[in-house]
Amino acid sequence: MGLRGYLLKRIINTFILLLFVIVLNFAIFELLPGEQGAIANLFGNPKIQDPKIIQNLEIRYGVCKGFDSLGHCIPTSVWDKFVSYFYNMLTLQFGNSLKTNHPVIADMNVRLLNTLTLLGVATALSLIIGIMLGVLSAYKRGSSVDSGLVTVSLTTYSLPTFFMGLLFILVFAQNLGWFPSGLVEPSKWILGRPDIGTFILVRLQHLFLPALTLTLFFYGGHLLLTRATMTEALTEDYITTARAKGLPERTVLFKHALKNASLPIVTNAALSFGTILSGAIITETVFAWDGLGRWLYQAIGWKDFPVLQAMFFIIALCVIAANLISDVVYGMLDPRIRYE
Amino acid sequence: MSQTSRVPFWVVRLRKFAVALLSNRLAAVGVFLLALFVVMATAAPLLTPYTPGSQVSGAFNAPTWITAVKGPAGYSQNIQFASLTVNSSAGLTVSQSNQTAQSVDLQLSSQGQGGTINLAETLLYPYQGAPKNFVGSATLVVSDPQNQSFTVAAFLERVGEKTWVVWDPTVVNGTRLYSPRPEIRSDSLSFNQKFLRDSPFTTAQYFFAPRPATYHYTLQITLPPAITNVHITVSKFSMVLLGNTWGIFGTDDQGHDIFTQLVYGARLSLEVGLIATGIGIGVGLLVGLMAGYLGKVVDEVLMRFTDMLLVIPGLPLLIVLVATVGSNLIYIILYLGFFGWMGFARVVRSQVLSLRERPFIEAAKASGAGTGYITVRHIFPNIVSLTYVSLALSVPAAIVSEAALSFLGLGDPTVVTWGSMLGNAQAAGGASLAWWWIIPPGISIALISLSFILLGYAMDELFNPRLRRRR
Repeated sequence: MGLRGYLLKRIINTFILLLFVIVLNFAIFELLPGEQGAIANLFGNPKIQDPKIIQNLEIRYGVCKGFDSLGHCIPTSVWDKFVSYFYNMLTLQFGNSLKTNHPVIADMNVRLLNTLTLLGVATALSLIIGIMLGVLSAYKRGSSVDSGLVTVSLTTYSLPTFFMGLLFILVFAQNLGWFPSGLVEPSKWILGRPDIGTFILVRLQHLFLPALTLTLFFYGGHLLLTRATMTEALTEDYITTARAKGLPERTVLFKHALKNASLPIVTNAALSFGTILSGAIITETVFAWDGLGRWLYQAIGWKDFPVLQAMFFIIALCVIAANLISDVVYGMLDPRIRYE
Repeated sequence: MSQTSRVPFWVVRLRKFAVALLSNRLAAVGVFLLALFVVMATAAPLLTPYTPGSQVSGAFNAPTWITAVKGPAGYSQNIQFASLTVNSSAGLTVSQSNQTAQSVDLQLSSQGQGGTINLAETLLYPYQGAPKNFVGSATLVVSDPQNQSFTVAAFLERVGEKTWVVWDPTVVNGTRLYSPRPEIRSDSLSFNQKFLRDSPFTTAQYFFAPRPATYHYTLQITLPPAITNVHITVSKFSMVLLGNTWGIFGTDDQGHDIFTQLVYGARLSLEVGLIATGIGIGVGLLVGLMAGYLGKVVDEVLMRFTDMLLVIPGLPLLIVLVATVGSNLIYIILYLGFFGWMGFARVVRSQVLSLRERPFIEAAKASGAGTGYITVRHIFPNIVSLTYVSLALSVPAAIVSEAALSFLGLGDPTVVTWGSMLGNAQAAGGASLAWWWIIPPGISIALISLSFILLGYAMDELFNPRLRRRR
């Protein structure tokens, strides 16, 4: 199987996956009682008496397809609902949020940006720290530095993010007062933004603790993987050759060994996107960081089903995209992968 | 020879396994930690007399041992006035019966000029900090068919310094039940207003000084002349002082004992982890065996399905399920089980694929064994070791997932788990978190995960021939 065949197979798989996610998302919300109950509550509202309004509501929330000449409801079948739902998901029309009555997409914009900022910073930092320390650990394999690094990274890895977040708030926000304990920016900024210098500085201050929490949670995995692949790479003949040529140790480590060992690290970074998102939901909640994860969490309390549905879909979409990208990159970079 | 043959084979194997496992230092640590948590979980009712929902003391009490770190100044513990004594002035006929620490039956008569009877309780207050709250009580059941009038009152005295009238003299008249009005308690508004108007103190700080002192809580019955045969049953005569420290780990915002919650939380965590993983292993084994051994279309379909489930982000799915289906602990265990088998199924499948080609399977086939027989007798025993490793490594994942859900407040609202302890701490804390409420459950989650991970890696090393060290 050549590269083209491999890619084709991956893309077809991705489409099947997308279909599966849509069906699952539909099934959970449609066949299970939560949303139906919320809609029933809406119609049970004693303030709504006018049959016209009720009819409009019934059409709007998809309970009835239309009304016959006598005014009786023609109920929407599950299939009808699925077709319109499927179309809406593919065209990213998630409807209006039940809480704010704005389109979900419009409410999502600023939150998406916040989430991407947090995730971007945390992923970049954890990759850099994890890879650097992983190389160091592999280079000094068996020494006390190595075992110390591995122990510390296993510890931070096994501490749950919510606990780490609370600890940081306790120590850095509450006792030392160095950083704010939450929010993306001070709430008084609603009244007016300060000048650009203060703006950036204060935003960074707010970003620090959540980013630190996520970074500490992720770098351990990168460190252990880098250590494993680097240890293997360092035993290869071409390393001995490079050393024999008299190349400086830094060149040997980073140009020769790391370059060849980096493939699994890069793919793993893409594949762990789902885990990162899960971590982000919790971290955002702990630090009141107004992102997608916190929104998903709040939507439960508000019984805001369009938002819930949209968030699950978008998050799943991100993960699927990350998987596809990692597959494609892997396929292009590593010729062995095509002949599975 | 005869001696060894008496021991069943599996006992020998188990013993060898245990010895091999414990010779690994990290595995020994893991076993020790795990044993600690199992003891905590099983012996929970013995370790603590309370239940997670019972209110034991005031809110946000620090652990008692904090006095050892920060010194005794400013800290107090729960303490109670000691048992009552009865003193009466001359000229009264008093017969007492049924006396206990907090109650007594009195039969009173007076001649001449009358007199008083004092029921007193004493407290040697040992702490260097004022109590946070106090509750005093007294119940008098007066039985007097002749409806004679006399007065009762209650006092609180800091010996040698000051006396407060905590129950204003009240006229008792006839057969009835009497108790102090307003109630003698520092969290009662009307009681506080009686003593302090616009004062920054609480009455607890006002009455009880932050230093050792002796206090008397006195119930005084004053009889005018010529009272005959009044029967009074005094009960619940006590005063309880609630300090600002409590127990091993202090209390939460509702005055619940954190140590109790922690101990019972171990039970729930282990339950969630083990049952969810059990389900996951069962499903994973089934799918993996079917995919690996039946092959072809079955394999393709099952593995594609597994891949799909693997890609779906776990926590968002859990959140959506909890929001739509329900958040009963049993449901949560089921979600975790039925969405936690995919990795294991793939491992089993690849192992089965390699086993299927081995000569001993071919030999079994040649001698006429069926698919079921081969699967159960030949393939299954060869993947049991994988099961142990997977069990050890997916238990912490289930525990942490449940904790995360509970932390978000999406867990079972009827039980207190380690995750919900952390969630409550954050929700109640606002700007000020109580460290004694956060650190114990957080560390417990980390340690129970660590114990399973250590065990898992050690078993992996034992069972996985590629990783086996040369000795």
